Amino acid sequence: MLGFSLDGDRLEGREGDTVASALLRAGVTTFTRSIKFHRPRGPFCLSGSCGQCLMRVDGVPSLPACRVRLREGMRCARQNAPLGAEADLLRAADFLFPEGLDHHHLLVGSRLLGRVALEVARRLAGLGQLPDEAQPPLAGTLRKEQIVVVGGGPAGISAALAAARRGARVLLLERDTRLGGAALLGIDADAPGAEWVDEHSHALASADVEVVLDAEAIGLYPNDAAAAPGKPALLAFRRPAAVVAVVADAVVVATGGVSQPLPFPGVDRPGVYAARGLLALALHRGVRAGERLCVVGEGSELIGCARALRRAGYDLARVVDASGAWPLPSGSAVPESAPDLAILRARELRARGNPVKELRAGDEAIACDAVAVALPPAPLHELASEAGAQARFSEELGGFPVGTDASGRTSVPWLFAAGRAAGAGGARAADSGTRAGVGAADAVGARRP
Amino acid sequence: MNDKAIVCACEDVTKRELEGAIAHGHADVESMKRYTGLGTGPCQGKSCLAAAMRLCADRAGLPPAAQVPFRARPPLSPTSLAAFAGLPDEVVRRRESPLQPPKGSMAAHPLQPREPLPPHARVVIVGGGIMGLALAWNLAGGGETDVLVLERGYLCEGASGRNGGGVRAQWTTASHIELAKESIDFMARFAQELGINVWLRRGGYLFLAGDEHTLRLLENGARLHRAHGLATRIIGAGEASELVPELDTGKFVGGSWNPDDGVVFPWPFLWGYADGARKRGARVETFTRVTGLTVEAGAVRAVRTDRGTVRADRVVIASGAWSPSVAAMAGVALPNVPYRHEIVSSEPLKPFLGPLVTMMGTGLYFSQSMRGEIVGGMGDPAEPPGLNQTSSLRFLARYARALTDLVPRLGQVKLLRQWAGCYDVTPDHSPILGETPGVRGLLQMSGFVGHGFMMAPAVARRMAGWMGGARDELFERFNVSRFAEGRFEKETLIIG
Repeated sequence: MLGFSLDGDRLEGREGDTVASALLRAGVTTFTRSIKFHRPRGPFCLSGSCGQCLMRVDGVPSLPACRVRLREGMRCARQNAPLGAEADLLRAADFLFPEGLDHHHLLVGSRLLGRVALEVARRLAGLGQLPDEAQPPLAGTLRKEQIVVVGGGPAGISAALAAARRGARVLLLERDTRLGGAALLGIDADAPGAEWVDEHSHALASADVEVVLDAEAIGLYPNDAAAAPGKPALLAFRRPAAVVAVVADAVVVATGGVSQPLPFPGVDRPGVYAARGLLALALHRGVRAGERLCVVGEGSELIGCARALRRAGYDLARVVDASGAWPLPSGSAVPESAPDLAILRARELRARGNPVKELRAGDEAIACDAVAVALPPAPLHELASEAGAQARFSEELGGFPVGTDASGRTSVPWLFAAGRAAGAGGARAADSGTRAGVGAADAVGARRP
Repeated sequence: MNDKAIVCACEDVTKRELEGAIAHGHADVESMKRYTGLGTGPCQGKSCLAAAMRLCADRAGLPPAAQVPFRARPPLSPTSLAAFAGLPDEVVRRRESPLQPPKGSMAAHPLQPREPLPPHARVVIVGGGIMGLALAWNLAGGGETDVLVLERGYLCEGASGRNGGGVRAQWTTASHIELAKESIDFMARFAQELGINVWLRRGGYLFLAGDEHTLRLLENGARLHRAHGLATRIIGAGEASELVPELDTGKFVGGSWNPDDGVVFPWPFLWGYADGARKRGARVETFTRVTGLTVEAGAVRAVRTDRGTVRADRVVIASGAWSPSVAAMAGVALPNVPYRHEIVSSEPLKPFLGPLVTMMGTGLYFSQSMRGEIVGGMGDPAEPPGLNQTSSLRFLARYARALTDLVPRLGQVKLLRQWAGCYDVTPDHSPILGETPGVRGLLQMSGFVGHGFMMAPAVARRMAGWMGGARDELFERFNVSRFAEGRFEKETLIIG
């Protein structure tokens, strides 16, 4: 067991926990107060992509609790709640501005009141306090590579293998501590699963692909540095905290997707999670954030996640097809017949309680102790977009896939994209990865047939 | 807990706020982001942009070609200053042949309005930045309502939407001091005049000097400031560290301090002036690109655009760093040169930093915005000229090194979002204003070297008066002819 503290109270977690998994196991659901309205917030995506679980850890502000690995003696503190996160008096802001806050036109009539508003707003702004201690530079390094593949799911693994088998030297980066990405969650029966990942991880080793785990890509630029000006790409990744810069001949972005909240009233309440986040939490950390679960979402993602969550031990209170609750539903239509799930259709949704105790869906009030939101993850186009690749909205995918040609090449000549990031998730991920890997190998002149 | 539907959990932006933004005309996600704060928090839009686009596409009927994400800005996830500061020197050293910035598309913008432009306008202003919009508002207020402002992107797309929001009256020429003083006074009553908050926070400007020689230069400036009624004074390292206790006092000997300078939130300036100008009868047209200027018999006659041609009696070039390329369409060579300046914003922190701090000699500056972010930048002596708005890793490394060197306690503070804009640099760091020798009716309003934003209210008021027939020495002093005549108006207190 690992002892740690939350706002001074002693708690215990387990070896292998993140701060978030330890807190959820201990029954803590409020991790912070929100920035403007001081609404209680807990984790949502549980994969380091959203901003809902930021906490002060060992004197450092706004760290994602779902990514920070628990250590003995860690001091965790909730933020933005000067009077305590459970009874934060500043939550009055939530009631004062029921429809939101129009800061542009607040008190514009009077110079005096405007000055008062400025002083009040200034004092309430911000999230974390300054770090406790100074931090000297964390020495980074520079690497020179031929092909870098970002993302170790089925698309990234396939791209790395295909490129390496053509004779290219390949570096594969994965932000998690294990390869596999979404394939490990078992949502899509037609897509590669854990066995596929196992098999192909061994193949990576025999193909001499260098795999770096716990490597979070943070930026992709055209290479303007003095280092290896012949290499067009400059990628930065963090591992564990220092930045490694990589100059490369070609980059394959296979960053997958990001869980999306469905913006119904109460979706931000503690106890509402991304379905994929709950699955990862159950499978990798052995934690269930509740027992009776409402699963709400759109498209085939809803069905896949509901079944996977049930396999992970959750009791399903109700599965709600919410297509139409927000404009332009994403994903393929939910089939009429999923008799095992008894799907309810509802456009009006509302989550109640802190943590959530009830989901109102149309006329039904469903008692539950957690809600899972299952929308198709939005393609994580950002890394490729930063470098200039074009991405365009797809209603079907519920996000912005990076555009590519048949070989996976984006609008930037040295940049390839594959998997969900390029609009080819699930069963199509591995194939699209292989094509991008071959394309990248061709682009750098790797020849072995 | 109130039953609001939160779309952006990082910044607490509600569905109602997004609908309000669409109703105000901010229907594309770049404008919506700026108007509501959507996607500007720690997740940088990864969890809300798709929902926002679904709403925009449905409610505002965005054409498919306009259904693109707002510009992705590194880093992909919040990363500490200490991590960037530790990048190896090889990354920080620039390659010898500079990269060419990507060429923008010449196709008409997918959000371009369908309605035709008017066939004629008495005044056409090229550029919908702070200068052009403030001029339109002032002209219309003085009775000249037949004004058309042409902006090639969304409002805020250029330097007026990309600056750090610093406003100061500490300059080294009398003209600049007076223009800035009047402008900052106007900012303090902007909300009452134009109905939108710009959140002027007068936390002061602190110029730090690394050595005694620099401090003496600042002393000369401070004397001039006091002669113009400013409260500037020279302070020692001790007093500077009382103002900002986190500074490493070993890094400077003293500084110049003016408590009345401050920071504003830049974007509402543009929306306020644009709405105000429209209410007074002027037209502001976005997503409209100027493709040519027609000059006949020594006078400007028309402005050609990708929405047709507009005949004009007078044309004002207020295009910031793009001014030389617009002037070239009339065969006029301006001496302005564009230079990229990069800038970055941190995670939102509780307020701790009052003034905007700048370190003389390094080009480093930083302040804390009303939202709590540390917003800062740093000039780069190796930056090649060019219209370049791309971001670089080397900037993050240089900035992080300089900032954590001066304020070691910021090492664990994380950066959220970097971007770049262009300074419009003249040989003497003073603007180009007034008539163009040889082309009647072609007026210049450019060359503000990164600080036009803080002088626009006064410059625009005086330019409107001068265009209406009032005499004003400003438009002779800063006429472009001064370069041919060897008459320079040298401003030396440039940051970045």
